[in-house]
Amino acid sequence: MLIMGDNILVVGFILFFVVASIVITWWTSRSNKSTSDFYVAGKGVPWIQVGIAMIGSYLSAASFLGCAGDIGVFGIDSIWLSIGFFGGYMAVLLLIAGPLRNVGTFTVAGALYRRFPDGTIKLAIMLCTVIISTFYLVPQMIGAGVLFHMLLNWDFVAVTIGLGLLMSIYIIFGGMKSTLYNQVIQALFLWVTMVVLVLIAFFTVGQGSLGSILEAAHQTVPPMLAAKNAAVVEAIRALPADQAIATARQMMPDAESAMSIGVKTSSSLAMISTVIALVFGTAGLPHILIMFFTVPSARAAKKSVALCMVALGIFYLCAILLGFLLFPGIYPKLVVWISEGATGIGMAKNMAVLEISQIVGGPWLMAIGAAGAVAAILSTAAGLMITVASTISHDLYMVYINPQATDKQEMTIAKITTLVMSAVAVVLAVLLRDNNIAWLVMLAFSIAASAIFPAMLATLWWKRATRQAIIASIFTGLGVSVVFIVLLLSNVSSFLGLPTAGGPGVFGVTASFLVLYLVSIMTSDTGKDAEKFLALAHKPDED
Amino acid sequence: MTEPDIATPPPLTDMRRKVLINFGLFGIFFLFYIGAAVLQTPEFKALASLSVMGMPLGLFLSLLIFPLSWVLMIIWFRKAC
Repeated sequence: MLIMGDNILVVGFILFFVVASIVITWWTSRSNKSTSDFYVAGKGVPWIQVGIAMIGSYLSAASFLGCAGDIGVFGIDSIWLSIGFFGGYMAVLLLIAGPLRNVGTFTVAGALYRRFPDGTIKLAIMLCTVIISTFYLVPQMIGAGVLFHMLLNWDFVAVTIGLGLLMSIYIIFGGMKSTLYNQVIQALFLWVTMVVLVLIAFFTVGQGSLGSILEAAHQTVPPMLAAKNAAVVEAIRALPADQAIATARQMMPDAESAMSIGVKTSSSLAMISTVIALVFGTAGLPHILIMFFTVPSARAAKKSVALCMVALGIFYLCAILLGFLLFPGIYPKLVVWISEGATGIGMAKNMAVLEISQIVGGPWLMAIGAAGAVAAILSTAAGLMITVASTISHDLYMVYINPQATDKQEMTIAKITTLVMSAVAVVLAVLLRDNNIAWLVMLAFSIAASAIFPAMLATLWWKRATRQAIIASIFTGLGVSVVFIVLLLSNVSSFLGLPTAGGPGVFGVTASFLVLYLVSIMTSDTGKDAEKFLALAHKPDED
Repeated sequence: MTEPDIATPPPLTDMRRKVLINFGLFGIFFLFYIGAAVLQTPEFKALASLSVMGMPLGLFLSLLIFPLSWVLMIIWFRKAC
């Protein structure tokens, strides 16, 4: 275990984020006067700030710790986790950002509702938003609890409650403005940490040569395979990484290498399904999409995505390089961790980045790395919580419960929702802490890809899309996603000849688009003045 | 002959032009993206293992997605905005 006891540096950095959050909340709370201020920071936030905040909202602990860690466990197969996360932003930039900003107000459901004023659509998107955000939020809470337990031996329940409280405070008092400022600080810290860590590791364990890093990976028996051989585990346990790599190769001469394809990826269809869920899922994630409503124009929304794409690209390239640097850096540790079973595999995936930070930069870099992981968790979780608060108060309360509600009542509901959401996330995190919860994130991306993205794309771009088709496609995407996850959880490897390993992505998206097209050509309600709506969505950009 | 005015295209072709550029660029990205992903699977292992610039073709094309995206983004900002 990588328990650091009462590591003063780690605590110091984490304390910095807590204090910064409270100061920012106090400062921004003074300017929060209307629902527009609370939900979308008054729609006047500079694009640079939103672009950076978007990086913070998107980069979760899975990106900071998991992308490199997964390469450290399986080898080259796992590079597509990073590329998949990155690729989604092309769909966001080219197909969604600008038009969504032009027609949206506070929530994703609101944008669709503007063209199709049908309560069912609002309710369906709200339901998807709550499910996606909850399924994305719970792993963040669990990640925080596990991380603090491993690093500082702090109590899991106390950490998740503390995290829930901290985020509730800065959302309730500071709203979107506070969330954005916090995300900016956290994103900058996280991004710089990753780049600095990779540079140091590249010039130390990587010897400043990409060729020698790739050569080491060619020689390496993937830790996932080496850990299954008890003799290898014992032989390399106390060796330096380079000798451990050579010894494992000597003892397993015919084993695949960390550059071999197929250690993790099962088939092309499974791969396609996973990457489709990541690409289209990103373009349907409500906590990313609502950020476009905080900038003053469609052009600003596009610029913020562009900034985000450049920074995310550099970040994920670093994550891939760091994954390969884990072999010359901490190979024996990875193998020993994995040999300890499921918990050890989790350790290898989540703690490898912190372990290499300690090796190449000592306790300071390790503490910065841990704080970076905390920053990733905080910024993503806050974005998710404010998204749920917005949709419950604006799409449920204002439409179904109290359409005559005042601004003040609506904001009160949003604040109560934040507290309830926080409590629900803590309870779920505690209940699910010992379970494999990777499927929650997969389901979140799949529902976003299958239920939200096709409906959003058709609403923003296709004049012939009908109200009935939008409703049908949302429920089809939701249904296919849920069916596949049930199959996956029941260990069913194929269904109707289709592999379930890659998740529901390709099947949900295909079914949803197909239903959308067929129902559209069979029905005629294209919404409230479709031409006018599309003209507004695609009006010329203004600065 | 003068260059067409990109900033203010005739209204009738505006939407069609936007669809062509946005979906065209996304199509190029998506084909490359899916192609590189599929190449990096066991079925295409032999092809993906060919050496290009000191690394396997599969890895090379996968990493190329980052600069390709940035280039497509620049083209899009110049043509569509």
